[in-house]
Amino acid sequence: MAANDISIIHPRPSSIVAALYTLRDLNVDVAILHGPPGCSFKHARLLEEDGIHVVTTALDENGFVFGGRRELSSVLEKVNEMFHPKLIGVVGTCASMIIGEELHEPVMDADLDVPVIEVEVHAGYANNTKGVLLTLESALDIGVIDREEFERQKVLLEEATEVEKRHGAASKEYLAPSRGDLKYKVAQRIIELLKEGKKGLVIMNAKKETGYMFADINVAVHEVASRLGVSGNVVNMANLDESLGLPRVRDHARNIMHDLKEKGVQIHDITGGLDEYPIAGHVVDELIAKKYADHDFAVITGVPHAIPMDHISHMEIISVTNGPRQVVPLKEMGHRHVVVEIDLHPKTLGVNHIVESELGATLREMAKETLDCSA
Amino acid sequence: MGNQKRIAIYGKGGIGKSSTASNVAAACAEEGYKVMIIGCDPKSDSSITLLGGRRIPTILDLLRQGVKVTEEDIVFHGYRNVRCVEVGGPEPGIGCAGRGIIVAIKTLRDMCKEMDDMDLIIYDVPGDIVCGGFVAPIRKGLVNEAYVLTSGEYMPLYAANNICKGLRQIDTRLSGVICNSRSVTREEEIVRRFAEEIGSKLVAFIPKEQIVQDCERDGFSVIEKAPGSDIAHVYRDLARAIMSNSDSALPTSLDDERLRELTR
Repeated sequence: MAANDISIIHPRPSSIVAALYTLRDLNVDVAILHGPPGCSFKHARLLEEDGIHVVTTALDENGFVFGGRRELSSVLEKVNEMFHPKLIGVVGTCASMIIGEELHEPVMDADLDVPVIEVEVHAGYANNTKGVLLTLESALDIGVIDREEFERQKVLLEEATEVEKRHGAASKEYLAPSRGDLKYKVAQRIIELLKEGKKGLVIMNAKKETGYMFADINVAVHEVASRLGVSGNVVNMANLDESLGLPRVRDHARNIMHDLKEKGVQIHDITGGLDEYPIAGHVVDELIAKKYADHDFAVITGVPHAIPMDHISHMEIISVTNGPRQVVPLKEMGHRHVVVEIDLHPKTLGVNHIVESELGATLREMAKETLDCSA
Repeated sequence: MGNQKRIAIYGKGGIGKSSTASNVAAACAEEGYKVMIIGCDPKSDSSITLLGGRRIPTILDLLRQGVKVTEEDIVFHGYRNVRCVEVGGPEPGIGCAGRGIIVAIKTLRDMCKEMDDMDLIIYDVPGDIVCGGFVAPIRKGLVNEAYVLTSGEYMPLYAANNICKGLRQIDTRLSGVICNSRSVTREEEIVRRFAEEIGSKLVAFIPKEQIVQDCERDGFSVIEKAPGSDIAHVYRDLARAIMSNSDSALPTSLDDERLRELTR
């Protein structure tokens, strides 16, 4: 911890896990955790939903004392036989890094015909983006990504870290988790606003695959507005540029855009790529200043705290996050309603179509009721 | 950086690694080479005789304070501009000194631009390679030549032999054996035989001279404080031998029986 940083006591995302997700984005077929069997268990399991195998060298007390060079090289050989991978990632853990394990030697020992991205990472970094950076550096070294993409990602990561420090999970010493506002109340309010003929913005600023669920809110608001005959009052923005980011991230943008089109949802403004959530907020801010300053309300999803308040502070803001610890900071920023889509991330792994959100489902159901009643 | 020599001197604790390292550093600096010495022992006293007895802040001291470490904070200029760096470490019995070396070496590599300009970098490593961290300089590719320092006594030879076993394990070549005499009978012969049998060579025999201790007590190397002494010439010869040495081999350690025979 640097002397000028605050000491944050709530647990936060791990750099090891960040490295695993980055390897997934780089399309490795297998990621090997070099460490104890329980390390990063939950995410290692979830990532299998996304089509990659995550295995562990399962270091035990003996491994900590005597090192695990042989264990790692034999797991490398084993996964090569079992899964016939085209690209492998090896990821450090706290235990293996503290005892000074080298990842490179066992990789040389195993001597496979498969490129291996070696990530010497532990979970002791103040910002989990370090895990992403270390993975990308290693991918750059062996030529899996080029310098241009690396530099682009680096800027995004620095900005993502700043976003978290300003209004995110790194903004306070302790952030209590919260379930946010009740979804039926918030849905009711959105319907009211639409009924009153208010003009609204639906802004998706999502991080990678989470877009599969956040985009559903654009869809749901569009559906309700259409039923009320006011779809012209709603403007959609989303960070769904299909030409930016790693191949897997571009695929997500393409899949989501395809679904939106099919459902008749027009995205009026594309604000960036799906990995540009830390910087797309500025694009949103400019667009609002230029074109939409007169709007009455805004539904902001994904990473809502990355959207500057400058030109939206007069609007009624409804934000949708998947981070229970994000509720308090968002309220403090001035967001009137904050909704938490709990367990969003697991539901967006291994999918290639838009997935229904709880807020979306609530909106649809309540719109049905109110319209039926008034009919 | 192609011709840069990056050496580590290994040997039993207390056998004279720091004295040898600092005198070699001073002698090479006199010859006009750009030299850096990196003390990797938590005791952080490798460079003290190049700095007139002054202790310098260590990398880990600064990292512990949480300040952003810059080159000027940790690289100090000693005798004849020898760059002195101390890794430092936790208090004895607390934390993990091995991890300390890994972190400090990484910090140094990331921000020390001067390292690239050096002709010679000497890593003064702790006597025993007790865990992974203590071989970090070699493992991270920072060292390209290793030397072993020993006397003709059984225990230092035993340690030297063990080190050779370790070097082979981590695939590191040995560039030579240096004998730091303890005035044992047939000492030069014993160490020369040892060196040859492990597949290396004796590069220097440093006689035991009180003057080395006397200079150190005052905070100096003999090169600086007693430049005309015989022992200063021995160190200068060793320095030249190291700078011109291009031989190295993977050492083959001896079995204990043979080691005992040698010293009998």
